[in-house]
Amino acid sequence: MFEMVFSLAMGFLFGFALQKAGLSKYHKIVNVFRFTDLAVLKFMMTTLAVSMVGVFALNTLGVVALPNIPATYVIGNLIGGLIFGVGMAGAGF
Amino acid sequence: MNLLKQKEWSPYLAGTLLGLVYVISIAVTGIIPGASGAFENIGGLIAQSLYPDLAKNTYFQFVMPPGITTAVMILLGIMIGAFVSAKLSGDFKLQTVSDDQWKRVFGKATWKRWLVLFVGGIILEFGAGIAGGCTSGLAIGGGLFLAPSAFIFIAAMFASGIPVAMLMYWRKY
Repeated sequence: MFEMVFSLAMGFLFGFALQKAGLSKYHKIVNVFRFTDLAVLKFMMTTLAVSMVGVFALNTLGVVALPNIPATYVIGNLIGGLIFGVGMAGAGF
Repeated sequence: MNLLKQKEWSPYLAGTLLGLVYVISIAVTGIIPGASGAFENIGGLIAQSLYPDLAKNTYFQFVMPPGITTAVMILLGIMIGAFVSAKLSGDFKLQTVSDDQWKRVFGKATWKRWLVLFVGGIILEFGAGIAGGCTSGLAIGGGLFLAPSAFIFIAAMFASGIPVAMLMYWRKY
């Protein structure tokens, strides 16, 4: 039960950040593939950098255990990513 | 308060907020936030009620079990959060075709936008199912652990996204 409510709250902040970055808009998404607006990349890489430092700092301090890391299966990740990119650039999600 | 009412944040600020969300979520519950999995959980539920035999396949039994999971709660939260953010900044509008750039390039026809959205959504979700996640769950959620899967996925996403955008925009690319 706690996990459900907690996830709802995390989702709330997630959606809030996405909307504030403008990533709920079609042109923001598609323009990263046209190299005319790199907001998606700036946003993604900032998220990556912050979460990386945060999670591994807490992990090093022994406070946080690492969860299951998304599995690598090269062909699947590659083909899935290729299909995903078509939908993303086409629809602009 | 002023900041909350702004229409658009710098991507660095919004990205920092999302980064903190990942840290808090992983620290408190060990859940890596993602968006695409929820659709599969809900899709599995629908399959269970309409085509029970179909829902008994390996994918729904072991990879993505149907049900109202934490992923569904995150997705619900994303919608509410985005709505509140848009409401606060006065950015919220009900429109059938919402994007000015789309209207300029592809016209105002509603059916065209909705068709592309619908088909694009299916393609995107299908791809995310194969890859094991989407931009949030795999690219960021895996990337922060330097998982190879995340970087293969990001590279592949751009490798197909760029030519698709080129084809769609053609001379306007």
